[in-house]
Amino acid sequence: MSVEDAGRPPRLAHLLIRGRLPAELADAVSGDLEEEYRRRRAGGTGRARSDLWFWGQAVTLRAGSLRRASARLRAMTPTWERNRPRRAGHDQTTRSWMPMRPDDVKYAVRRLVRAPGFTLVAVLSLALGIGANTAMFSLVNAVLLRDLPVRAPEQLVEVYTSDEDGYPYATSSYPDFADLRGRDEVFRDVMGTRTFVSRLDQGERPQVVFGEAVSWNYFSGLGVPMALGRSFLEEEDRTAGTHPVTVLGYRTWQRDFGGDPSILGGSVRLDGRPYTVVGVAPESFTGSMPVLVTSLYVPTMQVEAIGGFEGQTSRRSSRSMFLKARLGPGVTVDQANAWLAAFSAALAEQYPDSNEGRLMTAIPIGDVALHPLVDRVLKPVAALLLVVVGLVLVIACANLASFLLARAEDRRKEIAVRLALGAGRASLIRQLLVETVMLALLGGAVGILLADWTLGLLMSFKPPIPIPVDFDVSLDRTVLLFTAGVSLAAGIAFGLAPALQATRPDIAPTLKDEGTGGGRPRRWTLRRGLVVTQVALSFVLLIGAGLFVRSLQKAQRIDPGFDIGPAALVWPFAQISGYDTDEAVAGLYRELEERLLAHPAIERVGVADRFPLGAAVQTSGYVLPGIPADSRDGDYDLDNAHVSPGYFDAMGVPILSGRTFTDDDRAGERVIIVSEAFVRRFYPGEDVVGSTIEDGSGQPLRIVGVARDTRVRTLGESPRPFVYELVGQGGMFGAEFVVRGKGTGAELLEVTRSVLDEVDPDLVLMEAKTMNEHLALMLFPPRMAAMLLSVFGGLALVLAAIGIYGVVSHAVAKRTRELGIRMSLGASARDVVRMAVGGGMRLVGVGAVVGILLAATVSWSISRFLYGIGTTDLATFAGIPVLLTLVALLAAWVPARRASAVDPVRALRAE
Amino acid sequence: MGGSNRQLGDLEELVLLALLRLGDDAYGGSIRQELAERAGREVSISTVYVTLMRLEEKGLVRSWMGEPSGERGGKAKRHFAARPEGVEALESVRAVRERMWEGLGEGDVHVG
Repeated sequence: MSVEDAGRPPRLAHLLIRGRLPAELADAVSGDLEEEYRRRRAGGTGRARSDLWFWGQAVTLRAGSLRRASARLRAMTPTWERNRPRRAGHDQTTRSWMPMRPDDVKYAVRRLVRAPGFTLVAVLSLALGIGANTAMFSLVNAVLLRDLPVRAPEQLVEVYTSDEDGYPYATSSYPDFADLRGRDEVFRDVMGTRTFVSRLDQGERPQVVFGEAVSWNYFSGLGVPMALGRSFLEEEDRTAGTHPVTVLGYRTWQRDFGGDPSILGGSVRLDGRPYTVVGVAPESFTGSMPVLVTSLYVPTMQVEAIGGFEGQTSRRSSRSMFLKARLGPGVTVDQANAWLAAFSAALAEQYPDSNEGRLMTAIPIGDVALHPLVDRVLKPVAALLLVVVGLVLVIACANLASFLLARAEDRRKEIAVRLALGAGRASLIRQLLVETVMLALLGGAVGILLADWTLGLLMSFKPPIPIPVDFDVSLDRTVLLFTAGVSLAAGIAFGLAPALQATRPDIAPTLKDEGTGGGRPRRWTLRRGLVVTQVALSFVLLIGAGLFVRSLQKAQRIDPGFDIGPAALVWPFAQISGYDTDEAVAGLYRELEERLLAHPAIERVGVADRFPLGAAVQTSGYVLPGIPADSRDGDYDLDNAHVSPGYFDAMGVPILSGRTFTDDDRAGERVIIVSEAFVRRFYPGEDVVGSTIEDGSGQPLRIVGVARDTRVRTLGESPRPFVYELVGQGGMFGAEFVVRGKGTGAELLEVTRSVLDEVDPDLVLMEAKTMNEHLALMLFPPRMAAMLLSVFGGLALVLAAIGIYGVVSHAVAKRTRELGIRMSLGASARDVVRMAVGGGMRLVGVGAVVGILLAATVSWSISRFLYGIGTTDLATFAGIPVLLTLVALLAAWVPARRASAVDPVRALRAE
Repeated sequence: MGGSNRQLGDLEELVLLALLRLGDDAYGGSIRQELAERAGREVSISTVYVTLMRLEEKGLVRSWMGEPSGERGGKAKRHFAARPEGVEALESVRAVRERMWEGLGEGDVHVG
């Protein structure tokens, strides 16, 4: 028998020795005695005699002398104290919380490297949680939280003018802005901007750019210094169309002009006219619209020279300016609003036609994210997403806590011994914390990589809107700080509970039952609680995801009332392509329609300035005989569109009675077609064909037909009264082609493009999309929601499965001896598997019940995002438990099978 | 170090000698064994350590913790070694003894 295999001295005697020794001698002396004990045993001395000897040593130990000698030494040589056991690679003085020692880090690294599987799973779990959080936070940060990079933003307010319906946050007119700018009672500076879309002839093809027409004091008032050159001068913004100068956005300068400083003084062609570049905006300032990146700026007075914006700076009724103002010294927002109320009243008195009932309001710039109206929708969505990713992180942390608890369980012997050796509880906790914080930081680092990748992925799902969008969503410093905070909080949260449990001072029982592996483990109530929590939260997320997916399915199955088969939708932007007059534009559309119809692959062509389920909402006032008006202007506000005679055929909207438009209608009296819902709502049971209503200005409109209802604004709406007017009778602005024929949408789009190219190669296409892409706009929010929630729900499921796997495999490992006994007593492998799986599934069952109750409670809060299903959708609430149970069974079965492979003899021998 | 510290007790002398004999392998257990086998002195482990600590207090011995090992149930050893002062002290003891022995023949030593 070798010394090492010689068996251990009696535990109680050993404990007695250690208990009587001063900490700094415990290892050395008890080790010496144990070594001698083993040498005796190995030398042939019987166990009883050896034990007796050892007991003798324990009893006769001169603990008092040793303690006194050690104390004297300690008083004399400071290094004696620090000469305590160093085998853990750390220092065990009792004043030990702060600061973190290099030894702790070294030790933690060694432990993490030694358990690569654990480290990998832990870091990955955490990275997934942190990655999801960082990505979502970046998005929310970019859209809702990021401040404009301006001087003293706390002094800045947004100024809005109320609209005719009393909605307070509408845009303002240029003349009102000019009047406001002339006053200095409450504001030091008033800046104005309006957005426009134009054509920039740069590079191979003309491109559509998103620009801002800004007042000359815009940059100076906001306190935005130019990266290059200067901003606008007052004289450049005094008279309409006389100063074609521009400030380039930083990205445009970089991307289209290679960051060449010699562009200053050079010229760019905007909407076909040369503009002199006088400056470049700084990199940090991407324009006044969050998310959108402004390509270039021109002076406000230049905007009319850009196609489609005539009369913008002279008409008080033309309201398209966003105003920002800097409060004067000591002026509060309330004072500014009181003054603005008086100012608005004065304007209303002076210009009753345009300003009657209009009120200007100031809101601190920090209170507005995108626009008060948009914020109302965006903020709950953002909150929902943050809650969802927060839950994912909680699940990830629960997973880690669970793993760490298991590790702590395995390390309890070691920790108990170290406590017995006199290691400070505080220093042990600190060491465990260092380990978990390191895991958290690693997870955070990998998480940032994941987040970066996820954001790229998210950005590739561009919202289908006709403006060229250049999202400015990047991981910035705020986000990094946030992630670091989350990782650290997570590290401490999941490090502390196991640390506290592992260092609970009742070490004697641990030492006593050490290594027996028998009996039912009693100590993982916390761990079981964590698994239950994980399962419950996964349930909530999965049920949320399920509801969104079902809602999406339903939405996709709705009949929108028009043909959703292959088609191309193309918007030639005639106004910025050199077609200046209404006649020229109308001529272009006629020619395009003829040429399109002449193509062999094209069968039907229609024109409309608004398609059902598009982004824009368009209404006009109508006077309906016998129906009381719903607005102050004495008319009825109805959704409408201007369409060509071929539209109904091309869109697949049947005319139910009367007739469609003809080309002859353009000359004679003004005619309209109304929807079924129009008849049902206003003239139920009557034959309206042939009768007349009036437009807002009192012009008669004769109804010549009734068309089938289509969904207009959203898929979920109930049919809406709708008026079709003939396109071209009031200008062609925004008119789009719908083209049907042979082939797929993409092929039709290609054909349409080529025909348009033949007619006018310089024609700028504002929008060119297939019918599917058009429909995607309506489905974009539910698709995004379903995709995100499915991803996060799936993530939660994976994490929960890992958690279940961990608990079951740990339980199996702990019960090896018990399982061995059972098998040697005749239990079959199947019994053992069933028993191990059953233990895991009990936890899943509890989690499921809690989860379903939770999900039922929270699902009402997402009901407004759902379409076509109840919040207690049976398919979801029945399907998800089945899915989760299957995954859980698998997760429990894998480690349970290992248990059945246990060799009973080995299991019984195992300590 | 004061001169008085240089005066070694009987056991201290033996322990210091054991340290020199054992070299790198000097720790509580081996010292005790060495004392038993070579000097025939059975002392308790407590005595060995108290003596070692007193020597360390006098600055004649230094100690440090080593790595844990399996034959000790995973516990670390405290190694001991004589400092140069310890060797000096031993040599001065030996010198005193040799001076005292000097001139004494074999016949002079007997029970009278």
